[in-house]
Amino acid sequence: MTSNTPCLSFSGVSKSFVSRDGEIVRAVENVTFDVPRGTVACLVGMTGCGKTTILRLAAGLETPDSGTIVSPSGEIGYLTQQHTLLPWMTTTDNIGLPLKVKGMNDAARKARVNEIMEALGLAGFGSLYPYELSGGMRQRAAIGRLMASESSCWLLDEPFSSLDERTRHQLQKLLLETAAATNVTVLFVTHSIDEAVWLADRIYIVSAWPGRIIESLEIAEPKPRDRISDAFGARMEAVRKRLEAAIG
Amino acid sequence: MSSDAKWQDSAPVKYALGSIIPGLVILAWWLGARSGSAVVPSFGEVFNVLTHPFDEPPDLNSRSLAFSVMMTLIRLFLGFALAIATAVPLGILAARNHVVEYVFSPIVELARPINPIVLLPIITVLLGVSSIATVVYGQTEAWRHDVPDQVQTAMILILWYGAFFPIYTATIQGVRSVGTAWLETMRLMGADNAQTIRHVILPHTLPFIANGMRIALGTVWLVVIAAEIFPGTRSGLGYMLCTACKTSEYEYTFSAIIVIGAIGLVTNSLLRRFEERTGHWRAVQR
Repeated sequence: MTSNTPCLSFSGVSKSFVSRDGEIVRAVENVTFDVPRGTVACLVGMTGCGKTTILRLAAGLETPDSGTIVSPSGEIGYLTQQHTLLPWMTTTDNIGLPLKVKGMNDAARKARVNEIMEALGLAGFGSLYPYELSGGMRQRAAIGRLMASESSCWLLDEPFSSLDERTRHQLQKLLLETAAATNVTVLFVTHSIDEAVWLADRIYIVSAWPGRIIESLEIAEPKPRDRISDAFGARMEAVRKRLEAAIG
Repeated sequence: MSSDAKWQDSAPVKYALGSIIPGLVILAWWLGARSGSAVVPSFGEVFNVLTHPFDEPPDLNSRSLAFSVMMTLIRLFLGFALAIATAVPLGILAARNHVVEYVFSPIVELARPINPIVLLPIITVLLGVSSIATVVYGQTEAWRHDVPDQVQTAMILILWYGAFFPIYTATIQGVRSVGTAWLETMRLMGADNAQTIRHVILPHTLPFIANGMRIALGTVWLVVIAAEIFPGTRSGLGYMLCTACKTSEYEYTFSAIIVIGAIGLVTNSLLRRFEERTGHWRAVQR
């Protein structure tokens, strides 16, 4: 159900911040890219290159100094490495929060939350608080909250980077399945080339500070991809070379 | 360090250690009573007062112990409730809105160090002898309503004053420490201000408020007892304590002291439990 209509579009976007010393720090400069509806795009770059700023601009949490951003206002789900689940709410309440905010009645909300928890393998954990869950479970619950929000565009900022490899692979698979089932558009920030090549329909390489999109690579191989295949290895190598070239 | 802490952390040892000083106080009391001091009543006399709380003291110009406790608790509750009802919303507003903060901050900083007791005479002069009964039923009908007529508005105002600042500052501290990421998440969900306050700000701030309430409770206990000693009061534990001292009925003084301590202990542990319950996530948050 993908289409060429962009769900998210950046055109010549720049953003600067003022440091404590009063110096102007250019975070991103002249960023231009599109994410077509129903696709997964990954922003790959070194730590501190401005990937998070691009995501925050897309979410409307920052205002660009110049340029244009087109995004589905009011339909954005945002997830960071810190899951942002509310620690005083149980897993059920956390997942159901977007529905509560929308004013859905208790019975309908409960049914929808149960459905999501079943799909994410969280059934039976609903009464637990986030601090009682493992890191992987917490991120599952955070994905569950994104699903409940019924947003058409998910902005994910290194959501699995603090997890062990096995859990990370499980959640990557879950993310792709969920995104495909709900036809959401995903913009995923990572510094892991492996993660980007496994998830993305298109990879955008972000240069070192100030962040600019310097390369766009389409990954056409069907999903799920085989990590131990030669094609996957070759893709990773190609991305690595371009990333190294970008860093300089 | 950790192995050193083991023996003293077991429940029986903790209770035994906690009983040392109260035990010494009781021993001093017993020795005082045995020495024939006129100021120190026997255990039996105090026990008799405590086990007959509804009896009117025969030689004391005071109502029963139970009535005195009730009057003190009514005053305490009204002052404390008024402080919560004003300090929490105002604290949330001040922490989220700079205009409100700039309006209230100077007066709060100016008023906070002033002991509420020193304000009691001036507030009594300003408000006169008005009570809840005079406010609700009018000056001429007030005398018909015994209990509300003994709840002086000046005293409630002083208790509010004593409790307001700890709760207000704790609320501000709690609201200011709400993680930006949570607020942004709510914003992206499309939550309005009221929903953000209900689902994020208030639950996050509740343990801070509970802590402020515990500090405030300590203050209002001191204030209410001191205020009940002031002229114009006809009831309450402070009044009973003071009157009994004047007439050398020390068994009532001792009983009032014990009751004050016991109620303080119970209310403090209830608030501590409330603080732990609302802040269960803080201790274990990773």
